[in-house]
This record gives sequence, C-alpha cells and structure tokens, in this order.
Amino acid sequence: MPVFRFCSFVAAFIVALAGCRPAERTPPPANALRDDYGTPITIGRPPQRIVSLNPATTELLFAIGAGPRLVGRSEYDVFPDSARFVPSVGAALRPNIEAVLATHPDLVILYASQDNRPAADRFREAGIQTVAFKNDSIEQFARDARLIGRVTGDSARAATLVDTVMATLARVRAATANLPRPTVFVHAWDRPIIAIGGGSFLSQLLDIAGARNVYADIAAPSATVTLEDVVRRNPDYVLASPVSAPKMRASASWNAIPAIRAGKLLVYDTVLVGRPSVLLGAGAVSLANLIHPGAVR
Amino acid sequence: MIEFEDVAVRYPRATTNALGGVTLEARRGLLTAIVGPNGSGKSTLVRALIGRIPLERGAIRVDGEAATTLGGAELARRVAVISQREDLAFPLLVSEYVALGRFPHLGIWHAPEETDRRAVNTSIDAAGVADLRERRIDALSGGEWQRVRLARALAQGGDALVLDEPTAFLDVGHEMSVFELLHGLARSGKAVLLISHQLNLVARFADQLVLLHRGAVAAAGPPDSVMQADILERVYEWPLVVSRDPAVGAPTLVPLRRR
Amino acid sequence: MSVMRWVGLVLALVAASLLAVAVGTVSISISALWDALRHVGDTMAIMVVWTLRIPRVALAVLVGAGLGMSGAALQGTMRNPLAEPYLLGVSGGAAVGAVLGLMAGLGAALLPLAAFAGAIVAVVAAFFVAHAAGARGDPRVLLMAGVVVGAFANAAIMVVMANAEPNTVRNALWWMMGSVSDATWQQIAILAVYVLVGGGALIVVGRQIDVLALGEDAAAGLGLDVDTAIRRVFFIASLLAAATVSAAGLVGFVGLVVPHLVRAAGVRRHRELLVGSAITGATLVVLADLLGRVLRPPSELPLGAVTALIGVPFFLVKLRRLV
Repeated sequence: MPVFRFCSFVAAFIVALAGCRPAERTPPPANALRDDYGTPITIGRPPQRIVSLNPATTELLFAIGAGPRLVGRSEYDVFPDSARFVPSVGAALRPNIEAVLATHPDLVILYASQDNRPAADRFREAGIQTVAFKNDSIEQFARDARLIGRVTGDSARAATLVDTVMATLARVRAATANLPRPTVFVHAWDRPIIAIGGGSFLSQLLDIAGARNVYADIAAPSATVTLEDVVRRNPDYVLASPVSAPKMRASASWNAIPAIRAGKLLVYDTVLVGRPSVLLGAGAVSLANLIHPGAVR
Repeated sequence: MIEFEDVAVRYPRATTNALGGVTLEARRGLLTAIVGPNGSGKSTLVRALIGRIPLERGAIRVDGEAATTLGGAELARRVAVISQREDLAFPLLVSEYVALGRFPHLGIWHAPEETDRRAVNTSIDAAGVADLRERRIDALSGGEWQRVRLARALAQGGDALVLDEPTAFLDVGHEMSVFELLHGLARSGKAVLLISHQLNLVARFADQLVLLHRGAVAAAGPPDSVMQADILERVYEWPLVVSRDPAVGAPTLVPLRRR
Repeated sequence: MSVMRWVGLVLALVAASLLAVAVGTVSISISALWDALRHVGDTMAIMVVWTLRIPRVALAVLVGAGLGMSGAALQGTMRNPLAEPYLLGVSGGAAVGAVLGLMAGLGAALLPLAAFAGAIVAVVAAFFVAHAAGARGDPRVLLMAGVVVGAFANAAIMVVMANAEPNTVRNALWWMMGSVSDATWQQIAILAVYVLVGGGALIVVGRQIDVLALGEDAAAGLGLDVDTAIRRVFFIASLLAAATVSAAGLVGFVGLVVPHLVRAAGVRRHRELLVGSAITGATLVVLADLLGRVLRPPSELPLGAVTALIGVPFFLVKLRRLV
C-alpha cells in the first residue's frame, strides 16, 4: 500500500515535471501540403462525411458552410448552437476510435497533440483522410483555417472568414495602439493556480487589445504558478471567469494581490475567448472594451 | 492462592475443548509446576488466567475472589504473569523496562512515587540484574533477559508469579540459576506457578507437579508420585523408564530408543 | 532525552517556521519582515506575510504534528516500525471522498468535509471487516482489513476518474499530491482542535502504548484491556490522520519517518516520543513546504512529492543499517 502510493506520487511528480516543459517539440509548420503532424495532405473530392474532434475546428466548419456535412463531433463542441445537433462521438483527446469509425467518415480532423497520434494512425489505416491541426495561436488559426477550407472544398468562404477576423484584429490593434498598456494576469484555473502564458492565443489577444500579459515570458500556453508569484509580478488587472471571480474577491489570500484589493478584478467572457477560432475578432473587441472601456466601437 | 476449579476452555472455531475441566491450586510458599506434552493445554491455562480466552465452564479464583470480577489491573497487582513471548520491537533500557512492572499500580494517571521506585529497585536486586540497569533489553543474553523479565514481574508486587516456559533457549547454567531463583522466591512466601516441558529439571525443584494430558489433569502431587513410568508412558506415548540418581535425589525420566 | 536536546528540537521548529515566513517568491528583507510582522510598513509585505505565508506555516505545523503523533502511536501499538498513519485505509477513503466531492462541484469550504467523511467511512469499514473476520482487536487482522479497504478505495478512485472530466481529474490529482497553499484560518482552527484533543488523548494513553509494545500477552499480563486499548489508539490516530488529510491532502512519509528520527535521538517511552514526534513532524512539514515553494519558481512542487522525495533516501539508509 505505501508502495502504490509512492508510485503514484512519483508518477504524478513526473507528470507535473513533464507538464512544465516549455513547449512540446514544435512540429514542422503546416505548409500548403502538410498538417501539423507533418503528414502530407491530398486535396481531392470535397469530403461529404466529416468528423471534427476539436471545438475550434467544429465552429470553423460551420462558419465556412461545411456544417451540414458534419457527421460527428467531440463531446464539448457546442459552438455554434447548431453543433449540438451533430452526434457526439466522445472525447477529443484519445478519441473513441470505434465511435468515429461507426459514422463512416471520409475526413477526420484531430487536435495535433502527442497523445492523438495513435488515433490518427488508426484512422489512416482504415483508409480515412485524417488531418491534425494545432490551433493554439492566431497565426495557426489563420493558416489552419485556409488549409481546412481547401480540404473541404470551401476555400473561398474560408479565405473570407480569415480576412474578416484578421481585419477586426487589426482594427482593434489600431484603436488601442496609443493607449497605455496595463499588465494583466489571466486566471485560468484555481487548483492548482494556472495562468495563461505567452504561448497562448489569449496572450496574443491581450496584446492586440492593448494590454500586456504579466506571464508573457512563459513560452507555454499555460503554466502552474503560486499566489506569491502573482503578487510579486503585481499585475494592474486580473482577469477571471464569471465563476471564479466572486470567490477570488471574497478570499483573503487572493486579496493579497493589490489589483484585487483595488477592485480591478475583471470578469472576462470565457466562452467568447475560449477558442482560437471564428470569434477571435469578437474576442479581441470584448477584451479591449474590458480593459479600455469604449476604445473600440 | 490461585485456584483453577473445573476450568474448561474452547478456542473459537475449534471442535474440541482445549481444556476440559482442570482443577489445581498454586499455594503461597510452594513451587507448582504444570507439565505435559505439546498441545496438552499448558499455555491455555495461563491465557485463561489473564482473561485472553473466556471460560466455557468453571472458575479461576485468586485468594478466593473470581478472576473475572477482579478486573485486569487488580489481578495484575496480585499475580505477575511472564508470558512465553515478548516483543522487542522498540527496546527500552532495563531500568525503564522493569519500571513498566508498576503499570498495574500507576495506570495512565498516577505519577511514580517513592513506593514505586523502591519496588523497582528491590526487584532489580532480587533478580540479580543490578549491574544491567543501563543496558538495552535487546543487548542482553538469554539468561540475562529472563532475569530482567523476572525483575519486572517482581516489580508488580503481587504474591503470585506465573511463568510460561521461563527457561526455553537457556543453557544449563542459566537454567539452573533461574530455577534456584524461583525456588528461593517460593520459599520466601510467593506462590510460584510455572509451565515447563522440561520434566526432569522441574522435578528437582517443584513441590507440586500437575501433569496435563489432552486438556485434562492426568496426575497431580509431589514429583515422586507423578513421575511413575506407567503414567508418563501413557501421556507422552513413548517408552521410558524413571530412575533415581542418589546424587540428584529426584526422579528422572529417561526415554528409551525404539528398537 | 536530555533537556538540551528537547530545547534544540523546539528551537529547530521555531527557526524553520521563521525561515518559512521570511523566504518566498516575493523578496522581503529582514527589516521589512520585522515591520510586516508588526503590521507596519509596506502593505504588500504585510499581505504576503500575514495572508499568504503565516497561514501556510501554521497549517504545516499542525499537519506535521498530527501526522507525527499518529505515526508514533501506531508504530508502538502495532509493534511495527513500518506502520504509518494512513494504515487503516485513511488515505484511500479520504481520496474517494475528495474526488466525489470534486465531481459534485464542492467548493473549497466543503471539500475538506467530504475528504474527512470518506476517511472516517474507510476506518469504520476496516474495523467492520476485521470484526466480521472474527478478530477482536488483533492488530494484524485490522492491518489487513485496512489494506483491503485501501485497495478498494484506490480501485474506486480509478473507476471514478476514468469517466470524469479532465478538469475534475486535474483537480483530484492536485489534491492527492498534498498542499498547504489553500490554508484558511478556519481550517487551521479546526485542525488545531483535532491535533490538540487527539494528540492530547494519545499522550494521556502513552503508557498503555509502552505496555502494548511488549506484546499482547505481556500487556494483558500487566492488567491492560488489550483489545480496547488497541482499538482506542487506532481510532484516535486515524482520526488525527483524517483531519490532516482533509486540510492538506495526502502528505505521505511524515508519519512513517518522524518517529524513527525521534527514536534515533534517544527517546524511548511513548509519552515523550509522541511530543517529540509532534515537534519534529511540524518542523519537517514546514521545511518541506518551504522547499516546494522555492525549488522551481514560478510553480510549486506538491507537498506530498517533497515529503516522498525525503522519505525514500531515508529508507534506503535504514535498510542498509538493517542489512
């Protein structure tokens, strides 16, 4: 019994250490013919039965008009609302292979994480076109959206979508360009305390919205931090979800952060800025208006 | 002083009684020995005395009062029991170990007083282990350990000593000195009840022998009357003769080789 | 043990606590620290010292004291130097309670209660299993019953986590690694009551543990009601452990290692061993928390991981001495 617990401690410790590697080995950037696993993409007939295992790509597919051709999604893909009518085939990470195969897809879109590689191999062995994208940043969104548009035969609409989003982002950036840039701590999780790091699209949105992420020096999309470290970095604002904000306001230890004591705890729309996808532009606008009220129309 | 009256005991989930109606008495000033083959119920008697096993039938009395009504602490104040095995997982010093003998008097609440300290010192001297006071109990030889255990039992202060196999693993010299000590304690007025499988040794020192066979008393009385060849052969199921060495002055059991 | 050594033990605890309050991610000079302790000077320093660091240190002291005493009592009663506070399935039960609580969305205030309830259920179940097996208070049967209950709890945790949301899994894993970072004064007060009352009770019956350490027959021969005494120690020690788990998650090795350290300093009788284990356990956990905070900024190593890392080399050393 002590042996089991010792092993779990060691395992958990290793996991924790592993989680703190700055970034996963970055795959070769997806050029016109490769996905984020480095696998070549062939452009053929537009697929008619698409399974998307990623909230961002599901939302994207609906936005470029491929929604009706979706026959499966992962369980937490609920944007836009019409996505709920697409049957769920289970988890996005380590997907349920059989459930996906049961929908007889001709295209499967995965999130390009390390633990999805076995699933990707399995789908390819079954003769299904499989593409994996790691849309963690705005640039990746732009590139992946255009690629997905080519694969599904909706290049024109994809291009328009990307252009619109980028235009909005540029507009927001211009509107906040000359405003003072406060530092911001974005609270993503409570136990342990997880901060949004420099590698996340959310950090990029903050930059566009005229603020500076107080953890921008961390290359990973997120990092586990201590309360004392946040106090040391002394952000001007703290962004938290609607659920966490009241608890943090009421907590004595969170009030050690001067920003929270001074009432500068802002609630951000976690749904709107939750995915690096179609709503990136709207997300940037909401963040900008949160930090610089009235700056963006 | 300690009376067993028709004591019957059965272990849980056993089909037969471990003890089936044993009656014997250990009196002050006498050394009483319980002997018998393995499994005859000798150690069971001790366990029944200290209440580790409930009685099926009969009664155990100490100075006329039932052991069950006396309560553990009072019983321990009157009767000191030295069990067969003791754990040395966390060794104490000899002086600390002997002081544990005062536990029946002190419990968890009382602080040790002059009477307690005197009892401990007297017991250490009586057992002849005064020069071992500051040694750890796991650093003692077999003979020294038995004497120290005896000192603890004496520190309990009662008139009765019950010992379960006190000389197991001891060599001849240590065996004899322990028995001389026990004999002396009996003569000084204590009731000494001991269990031993070493018939010959016990026969030289005991005033009374009780021979147990399959949970019942096969014979009881002075060593001469109990150590009869026919009784012993029946109980030990082995051919033997009983001889009498004039130098020793006590009956001696001699087992024969099977032809 | 000599008076000087006792003084040394207490001084070590005081020094460790001061160090833990003085050192952290935010640098605070000695003079600023002295000001902050008196509630004067830089507001940030005051907040960091009083709201973040002192509660952690206070909780660490209580957790260490509780686990140290629990371990010392159980080792003596079981006559086994490898006994430790999570023996009767306390850790498994508490973890099940916490995981179920997390799945039900319990907040920081109610989660400790769920963990505590789970721990108590496990301990009661262990007693029940032992009773059903027909043993009256035989520590070996209780030990095996605890192993059975603990194994069952671990299986239950795996089943629950396999189907849980990733967020619940992460929460549960973090909780199981142990931490004093969420220390609140309410938790500290509640744990203080348990440690004082439970620890006090164990110290009172300390002489019984001395006697039990001789073996059950010998203890019975000295007039102790062995079965009741064993059950009492097990229950109080498990309650202490459950209280620490509910406040700080699973912090392993403390209850196992600390009594050995105190015995190595020459303490033999259990009343003194219990007090020494409380002080030494507190020092150990305070230092472990400090290490966890400074070893890998900006994040912290879980408390249970640090104590495990300390415990392993300790055992290697012990094993070599045995062999």
